[in-house]
Parts: sequence; C-alpha cells; structure tokens
Amino acid sequence: MEGKVIVVTSGKGGVGKTTATSSIGAALALEGKRVAIVDMDIGLRNLDVVMGLENRIVFNIVDVVQGKCKVDQAAIRDRRIDNLFLIPASQSDNKDVLTPAGVERMAKVLRQKFDYVIMDSPAGIERGFENSVVSANEAVVICTPDVSAVRDADRVIGLLYARSLEPKLIVNRIEPARVERGEMLSYKDVLDILSIELVGLVPMDEKVLISSNTGTPLVLQNDSTAGQSFRRIAKRLNGETIPIEVPNLKPSVWTKLGKTFGLK
Amino acid sequence: MLQEFLKRFTGQKRSSDEAKQRLQFSLIYDKLELNDTTLTDLQTDIVDVISKYFEIDKDALELKVKNDKQVSALVFNTPILNVKRKRE
Ligand SMILES: Nc1ncnc2c1ncn2[C@@H]1O[C@H](COP(=O)(O)OP(=O)(O)OP(=O)(O)O)[C@@H](O)[C@H]1O
Ligand SMILES: [Mg+2]
Repeated sequence: MEGKVIVVTSGKGGVGKTTATSSIGAALALEGKRVAIVDMDIGLRNLDVVMGLENRIVFNIVDVVQGKCKVDQAAIRDRRIDNLFLIPASQSDNKDVLTPAGVERMAKVLRQKFDYVIMDSPAGIERGFENSVVSANEAVVICTPDVSAVRDADRVIGLLYARSLEPKLIVNRIEPARVERGEMLSYKDVLDILSIELVGLVPMDEKVLISSNTGTPLVLQNDSTAGQSFRRIAKRLNGETIPIEVPNLKPSVWTKLGKTFGLK
Repeated sequence: MLQEFLKRFTGQKRSSDEAKQRLQFSLIYDKLELNDTTLTDLQTDIVDVISKYFEIDKDALELKVKNDKQVSALVFNTPILNVKRKRE
C-alpha cells in the first residue's frame, strides 16, 4: 500500500512546526509505522539538531531531488526509535533550488518506502511552502493563541483549501492560567475563528526546550505534557478516535495539601 | 481567582475577548481585499444583470467594498435613467 504524505505548516514562523513534525513523526514510529521526516526548510535546517542527528548527515534533500543520491542514502536512521528516518535540508543552497515538480518526483519514491512522510514546511507562503504542500495528501496547520499566528493560519488554511486539502488544526503553547485570566485566547476562541477540524491541543511545556537542547525525542518523556499531547495527536492522525484533552491548570498547592490531608 | 474577580468588579475588559473580536473583523476584511480583476469582472456581471431591468448610466456607477468597525458591505451605486418595460 502507498504511504501518506502529511505537511505541517503555519504561515507564521516560530509557532512550533519543527517541534510538532519531529514529535508526531517519532510518535507514529512508536505506533509501529515506518516514518520519514523531511526538512523542507532549505537554508535554515533545524530538524537534524532538534532530533539529535546532526553528526550523521551525508546527503540532503537537494541531493535527492537533483539525482545525486538515492533516498536510502540520504535518509538518516534514528537509533533510539525504530523505523524513524530523517531526510535533512541542505544548509548552503538557496531556498529556490527546489521546484514543486522535483519534490513531487521524490515524494513518489518516498510513498513506496514509508507509511508516513511528514514534511516540515518553512514559515511563509512562498516557494518553500509550495514545495512542502505539492505532494501532500493531508495537511496539519499549527498556530499559537495569539492574533498574528491565528490570522496567518487563516490565510494558510485558505491556500490549502484552494489545493483541495482539508487541513486539521493544532493549537500549541496553550497556557491555561492565562486563558483563565482572560489574557490569552482559549482554544475555543481559536476554533470559532478558524472553523476547521481540531486534531489536538498542546500546552506550553518547559520540557520542549530541554529536549531540543539534548536532541532527545520529546515523546519518549513521560513527564512531558506536550510530548504526551503529540503522542495522542499521532494516534488521531493514524485513524484512532480518542477524545481531545484540554490543557488545564495544575492543582494548586492548597488543593494538593487538602488531598494529602484527606480533605475534599 | 481574586485577580479575575477584581477585574470583573472594576469592569475591566478581558484582553482575550478583544483579541477575538478584532480577529473576527480583520479576517473578513482580509478576504474582502479583492484584486482589481475580480472587482472589474464583478462590475461587468452586475451591469449586465441590472441592464435587463433598468437603463443605467454606466459611466457614473461605482462599486466599492466598505468596511467599518461593525460590518463590511459591498456597495453598488448607480443612477437609474429609465425603467425598462417588461416583455413577456
Ligand atoms: N509547546 C511548547 N512549549 C514550550 N516551548 C515550545 C512549544 N512548542 C514550541 N516551543 C518552542 O518554540 C520555539 C519555536 O519552535 P519551532 O522551532 O518548533 O517553531 P517553527 O514553527 O518550526 O519555527 P520556524 O518557523 O522558524 O521554522 C522553539 O524554541 C521551541 O522549543
Ligand atoms: Mg521550523
């Protein structure tokens, strides 16, 4: 059976595309799927360091598309998670070296070899975006609860619809305490505005930065709330129906104290 | 909690509510930022339809997208020169 290509995109930069791509890819591999993660951010490669694979790059995506090497030669195998591979971006090229036609040819080969191919799109809606969405069968739009990220998400959703893709939404970096204080849009506000299918809610989590510091997979950390959210998102993308958990406030010191003393 | 209560009490607005409202407005506004060819095509089509019923002054007409804080509207303004007789 042919594999599926999923693009992760956002319009606005820095909202969590790379974090989401690496985490969802790793989580799908943990589900037993064969997964290729593709860094489409030519000239600004990041996935290799986030995933801790930066020392093992031999070939990159531009080499594959230009026929200088085979997919198997460029795909770096993760040693901690079985069936997880990364095709790194090139760091030296101009972002216009790739064309949608070239990427489409590469994607055809990848679909034969993998169950899931996840494309990490660069920020923006120019050529890099085009290249990332051209071969996609599914799209995931990620945004944070702030006005500019939501507005850019709306724009990108429009562009995806124009390509007959029905994107699913992830709201990232939710801070429950600020939502409660009325300082941050709630996920419901964001959904009201964007009105597309929700695939997951990811809380703000200090562990995200820590795991990228060391290049270890977030989803392997059981104490990472964001990592656990991404694992559930991967299950949903893989066809499971599980309820969406809303990030909520940690019980305060007083409720914790109350519990230890057996009070209600 | 207390902070929230104080805000309600003093009638302070939640900034998240304002964010939502402003977003809803600006997204409509964004989509109405039609390009020139769309507007010209639309104008030709509207003139064709109206001309079936009225004789209008094609040089004096005007088609605009109007935005204000509450609503966005498509405004078509044309002097009517004559009402056409309906033919069966
Ligand atoms: N849920 C989260 N909690 C805490 N920090 C986060 C979370 N998600 C992302 N971050 C942090 O936000 C920063 C940007 O994330 P990331 O690199 O994934 O965004 P991006 O959309 O890929 O950016 P770019 O547009 O530059 O490619 C990183 O420092 C990352 O650690
Ligand atoms: Mg990125």
